Amino acid sequence: MDYAINLNKVSKSFEVMREKHTSLKSALLSVRRGRSERVLGLNNVTLSIAHGETVAVIGKNGSGKSTLLRIIGRVYRPTSGSVQVSGRMSTMLALAAGFHPELTGRENIYFNGAIMGLGASDLAGKIDKIIDFAELNDFIDSPVKTYSDGMLMRLGFSIAVETDPDILLIDEVLAVGDAEFQEKCYGRIDAFKHAGRTIVFVTHDLEAAKSVASRAVWLSAGEVRGDGDTVQVTAQYLDSLIHIGQDGGARVESGGG
Amino acid sequence: MADELKELFRYRYLLLQLVVRDIKVRYKNSLLGFFWSLANPLLQVATITVVIKYVMRLEIPNYSAYLLVGYLPWMFFQMALLDSSQVVLAHRDLLRKVYFPREVLPLSVVMANLAHYVLAMVVFFAYLLFYRLFLHGAPIGVTALWLPVLMAIQTALVIGLAFFISCLNVFYEDVKYLLTVLLNVFFYLTPVMYPAELVYAKLAQLNSPMLYQLYLLVPMNALTNAYRKTLLPPFEGLTIKGTPIPSQPLDWGTVAAAGVICLSIAAAGYAFFNARKWVFAERV
Repeated sequence: MDYAINLNKVSKSFEVMREKHTSLKSALLSVRRGRSERVLGLNNVTLSIAHGETVAVIGKNGSGKSTLLRIIGRVYRPTSGSVQVSGRMSTMLALAAGFHPELTGRENIYFNGAIMGLGASDLAGKIDKIIDFAELNDFIDSPVKTYSDGMLMRLGFSIAVETDPDILLIDEVLAVGDAEFQEKCYGRIDAFKHAGRTIVFVTHDLEAAKSVASRAVWLSAGEVRGDGDTVQVTAQYLDSLIHIGQDGGARVESGGG
Repeated sequence: MADELKELFRYRYLLLQLVVRDIKVRYKNSLLGFFWSLANPLLQVATITVVIKYVMRLEIPNYSAYLLVGYLPWMFFQMALLDSSQVVLAHRDLLRKVYFPREVLPLSVVMANLAHYVLAMVVFFAYLLFYRLFLHGAPIGVTALWLPVLMAIQTALVIGLAFFISCLNVFYEDVKYLLTVLLNVFFYLTPVMYPAELVYAKLAQLNSPMLYQLYLLVPMNALTNAYRKTLLPPFEGLTIKGTPIPSQPLDWGTVAAAGVICLSIAAAGYAFFNARKWVFAERV
């Protein structure tokens, strides 16, 4: 079968350092005897996502959701196992990451498009659609530092979707923006799905997961605890939280956003 | 390495965007824009000229031209390397979110600084032409046609070193401090403020012409010497303590050696960077 994304026994461990940036002095002085510990971010994850599927990745903070998305997005290389992705990916950047405040919205569109591997001619044909969808026609030549969070969010989403990727990765960003625009985003995502594109998104919002994705993957401590129909998997996930809540005191995460 | 280069080529538009962004952002809110990048070397050259000629009273005819022709390449070298030490950390948000060939980062700062250098050289030629036309300055020789070759060799050197520095600074932030110190020291060791012949004269006294050959194997020494010899006529009338110091013709062998060394540094730097670039996202 022809998959868009195929992870085979993927594990990812990280070196945990006492200080984030070691200095040359401490590197020279410290005798290397197992001082750095390794923490497992993903443990033996096998996952296949077909073309046209929309998959929500759910789980508690630190369960490995973002690590999984970064492995798929080729930001991290797996420690072991293999990753295959077929098609052009685009990542919806969290606010600010891909925008330079001093540059205009238009300049930032070209920069973001370039980051996704597009060329000048690809972008020239898409820029009007991007600006229209983001509803920023009047502000597109103003510096991005003058934009509100909502405007930035719209621009980011618009770039990610209107550049026509085969695979769209979204890391918990749909929570921002007004209700009306969110509605528009979900509409666009539906159209995207019907065009046979693949979406993987990380979310804490279980209602959003249920309304957008037919399949959910539940991660816990870097392992896949559940994978299947969104309604069933989110129910299992909620059950586990309540179960822990009874004897551990952990609270059920709010589904609002 | 062929695959890496192919992927880099696929992302050439991103490299262009990074270079343009770097230049745009630098001068976004300044009126004089690019001229600020000229103000620094020109002021520095004027100051050194005044100190050498009028305070220390060394007799070096037309000194400021000989100084400038060494100082502008040095500025390119220094600014590009200092920028490269910061470039990966400056893009940490992007690195942690998106895939792209990481080498575009150091390459972009080298290219942006190269653009400044090229513009500075245009101004330098205008200055030579002005002197030639109105103040009986020396003609610009045909050897000036070698300039693009020298610039290409220097760019290879800067790219190679930028790969090492940008990568190492991710793991050890001391690198940028060490770099600042080393650049300061090497500014005086490189024949920027003085002709290489003075080093030759000193080493000849020590009776060790081998040392001078070694001195010219350091790429920036050979390059600075070559820039000066190809762009300006041989200096005349330089004496130190009554001993005349004759100008020597350019030894092209040293330029060729510098070329080979610089290309090797570029290749080694690229390999070093590539072996570590996918860990950046976990370390920044």
